[in-house]
Amino acid sequence: MSLRVDPEKNEVRALKAVIDWHEKLVLEIGCGEGRLTRRLARLGAIVHANDPDAGLIAKAKRNVPRSFAKRIRFRVGQAEKLNHASKTFDIVVFSWVL
Amino acid sequence: MVHALHEAHRVLKPNGILIDLRPAALHRRVGLRQGERLLPVGIMRERFDDDRAADRAVADVIREGFFMADQRKQFPCSRLMDSLNEFQKWLDYSVKLGKLPSHDWLVRKVERERHTVGGKTRIVVSGPLMLQVLKKR
Repeated sequence: MSLRVDPEKNEVRALKAVIDWHEKLVLEIGCGEGRLTRRLARLGAIVHANDPDAGLIAKAKRNVPRSFAKRIRFRVGQAEKLNHASKTFDIVVFSWVL
Repeated sequence: MVHALHEAHRVLKPNGILIDLRPAALHRRVGLRQGERLLPVGIMRERFDDDRAADRAVADVIREGFFMADQRKQFPCSRLMDSLNEFQKWLDYSVKLGKLPSHDWLVRKVERERHTVGGKTRIVVSGPLMLQVLKKR
């Protein structure tokens, strides 16, 4: 794919600088095609990622490298009505959605 | 937006962390990169109504005592595209979401500049991202 976002990886450097992501249970809201999801998994997080767009979730699932298959879960969902139990996650990331 | 932040508060563990990551409310710059050279082409005309509403929503949940502000950073971010078609598609998506008015004028300008410069160029869109860290109270 020739479209590339943040090739300098400034975003991931900034995320790494503010929190230790290792083995943290993360909910990413607005994951789109999963670009940031993969970066968070690479930082060591276990990521539950959701997006209201089923088409984007399908693409995101196809883009997951096999090595991250156990660290990433994608789900179609709305930020205003999360299908998760209370007090589940260490970190919630609003990914370009607010 | 406030509802989404309340939901985030609900699913976070005690002392959990909320990250708000999004483009800063500043107009992005579009240019052409050829090798190491960057030729400026134009400045986008985004609407920032949603950004202001998001800022208000975050301020509301802090004021209501759900979260406390911890850190805030801004850093550069760029997007590289090889073709005019990709640039047009990316703009169309933002127009569809209501975040941009039509930028056909900018597509035409990029097309003209690419023709003038000649050779292989990449389209570069750059503007800062904002990262805010909030802690659950």
